[in-house]
Amino acid sequence: MTHQTNLGESGYRNSSVSSQRSFAANISGPVRFGGVIALIYIFLVGVSSLEAGIKLMGEDTQEQLFSAVGNPIAALCVGILGTVLVQSSSASTSVIVGLVASGVLGVDDAVPMVMGANIGTTVTNTLVSLGHIRQSNEFKRAFAAATVHDFFNVLAVIILLPLEIAFGVISESAQWISERLVGSSGTEWKSPVKAWVKGPVGWLKDLWDAVGASGNLQGALMVATGLVIVLVALAFITKNMRSLVADRVERSINAMLSRGGGIVALFLGLVITVAVQSSSITTSILIPLAGAGVVSLRNAYPVTLGANVGTTITALLASLAASSPDSLTVALAHSIFNVAGIFLLYVIPVARNVPVIAAEKLAEIAVERRTLAVGYVATVFIVLPLIGVTALR
Amino acid sequence: MVLSFFKGGSGEGDLDHIFAKTITMLGNARHSFDLATLALLTDAGASAVEADIRETDERINSDEQELRSELVVHVSVKGNADIGSVLGLTLVLKKIERIGDQAKNILELSVSGLSLASRPNVDDMLTQRQELSTLFTEAANLLGDPGADEDAISDFTDRANATLPGIQEVIDQCMVSDQPGHEVVPLAFYYRYLKRIVVNLIGVVRSSSEPVPLLDHHEETDI
Repeated sequence: MTHQTNLGESGYRNSSVSSQRSFAANISGPVRFGGVIALIYIFLVGVSSLEAGIKLMGEDTQEQLFSAVGNPIAALCVGILGTVLVQSSSASTSVIVGLVASGVLGVDDAVPMVMGANIGTTVTNTLVSLGHIRQSNEFKRAFAAATVHDFFNVLAVIILLPLEIAFGVISESAQWISERLVGSSGTEWKSPVKAWVKGPVGWLKDLWDAVGASGNLQGALMVATGLVIVLVALAFITKNMRSLVADRVERSINAMLSRGGGIVALFLGLVITVAVQSSSITTSILIPLAGAGVVSLRNAYPVTLGANVGTTITALLASLAASSPDSLTVALAHSIFNVAGIFLLYVIPVARNVPVIAAEKLAEIAVERRTLAVGYVATVFIVLPLIGVTALR
Repeated sequence: MVLSFFKGGSGEGDLDHIFAKTITMLGNARHSFDLATLALLTDAGASAVEADIRETDERINSDEQELRSELVVHVSVKGNADIGSVLGLTLVLKKIERIGDQAKNILELSVSGLSLASRPNVDDMLTQRQELSTLFTEAANLLGDPGADEDAISDFTDRANATLPGIQEVIDQCMVSDQPGHEVVPLAFYYRYLKRIVVNLIGVVRSSSEPVPLLDHHEETDI
C-alpha cells in the first residue's frame, strides 16, 4: 500500500513492532495459500491421530471417558463448555467428528454436542462486545449484535433438540444423506484422504512407541497430540486465510452496506466464514461495525446466520480424514441443524423478529446494569453448562 | 455483492481506494469554492450556481459518511495495522466536509442578495481567490502523492499560512470600520470563511502526513 510509505516517513510507524508485522504481512499470497494447503493436511493428520489414539485406549477407559454424554442435555452442555474452552466451534466439532470416527461416541450423543458447540462459539463475539462496555450507545448496539447470535442458537436448540431426541429428525436426515454419499453406518469408509494421512499418523504412533508408551498411555498421548495439532493447525489456517481474503472481505462488506439485503448478507456471512474457517472471525468483525452504528442489528443478524452454516465446513473437512460414515453423518447433522434453524427462525417472518427483539431487550437491560452483561456471559457459557454436566452425568 | 468477494485480486488496495475518493471529494470542494466565490465576486449571481453547489455539497457529505463507514469496516477487518492512516483519513474527511460547508456559506451570502463585485479592490480579491483555488490542487496532489516528503508538505503549509495574516487583517479592519454594516459585514464574513478554508486545507495536508503530533522523548532527555 503506497500511502503507508508516506505515513511511515512521518515517524510514528517506525517501531520494531511494525517491522515485525510488515514481515508477516509481506508473505506473498501464493506462499500463504501453499501454507494453508499444508496446514489443512496437518489438520487432517490431527483428526486422524485423535481417532487412532482413542482406538488405542481400552474399552473400559473409553466408556469411562464418555459416559457423561449419554444424556443429551449433558452432551449439549459438554459441547458448549468444550467450545468455550477452545473458542472455536470448528475445532470442537472437528474433535467430535474424530471421536465419532473412533466409535466411542455415537451419532445420537454427538448431535447434541454439535448443537452445544453452536451455542458455545458465540461466546467470542459476546466477549468482543464487552470491549465496548464504557460507551453506552455503542455497547448497546454491539451487545445486541452479539447476543442475537446467542438467541438464535439457543432458540434453534430449544426447538430442534426435543425433535431430535423424540424423532431423530436431524440425525436421520444426516444419515440418509451420508448413506447416499459414502455407504451405511457401521461399515468402513475407504476415504482417500484417510490413506493420505495414514503415514504421518503412523509416525506419531511410532514416536510414542519409541519413548515406551503403550496401551492407554499411548492412546492418551496420541489424543493429546491430535488435539494440539487440530487446534494449532486451525488457528494458523484461520490466521492465514484471514490475511489472504481480508481485502475481499472488506470489499464485500462495503458492497453489502451500500445495497445489501437479508439473503445477500446471509450468503456473505457463509462465504466469509468458509474462507476464513471460523465463524468467530466473521461475527467478531461485525461487532465493532454494529457498535459504531455502521451496520444495524437487523442487517448483522443474517450475516451471523450465514456464519453459522459456513463454520460447518470444517467438520465436513475433518470427516474426510475419518474412517467411519458416522463421522460424516455428524458433520452433516451440524450443517442440517443450522440450515433448519434458518428456515425456522429467519425465513418465517414472525419468528425472524424473536431473536432480534430478545437481543434488543437484553442489551437495554445490560446497558442499565453492566455487571449483568458479564453475569450473562458467565451464566450462559460457563455456570449453566457446568451445572448441566454435573447434574446430568 | 456476494460475487464481489470473488472478483479481483486479493491484493487490491482498500485504503488506496479511500485515498482516491478523498481526493475526488477535495476536487468537489474546490468546485464549490470556485463557483461560490465567483458568484459573490462577479455579477454571475447565485441563481446560476446555487443548484450545482448544493448538489456538490450533498455529494461531499454523502461521500464523507460512506468513506467513514468504509474506514470503520477497514479497521474491523484488518485490525489496527493501518490505524495511523485511518486516523489521518478520518480527520482529512472531516476537514474537506467543512471546506464544502464554508463554500456553501459563501454561496449563502450571494443567495441573501449580497455582492462584493462592486468593491474597488475586487480584482485583487479575484486574484486571491485564484491563488486559494490553486492551493486546493496542490493539497490534492500532496494527498495523492505517496512520495511527497516533509519538505514539500512544509512548503505548502508555509505558503498557505502566509495568506492568513492578510485575511485576518481584513477581518480586523472590518471590526473597527466606520463603513456601513451592509458593506463590512459581508466582507468580514467572506474573509472569515476564506480563513477557515485555508486553515482546513492546511489541516488536510498535515493530517494526512501526521494525524497526531509526533512525540520524540529523545529530544528532551539525554537517554
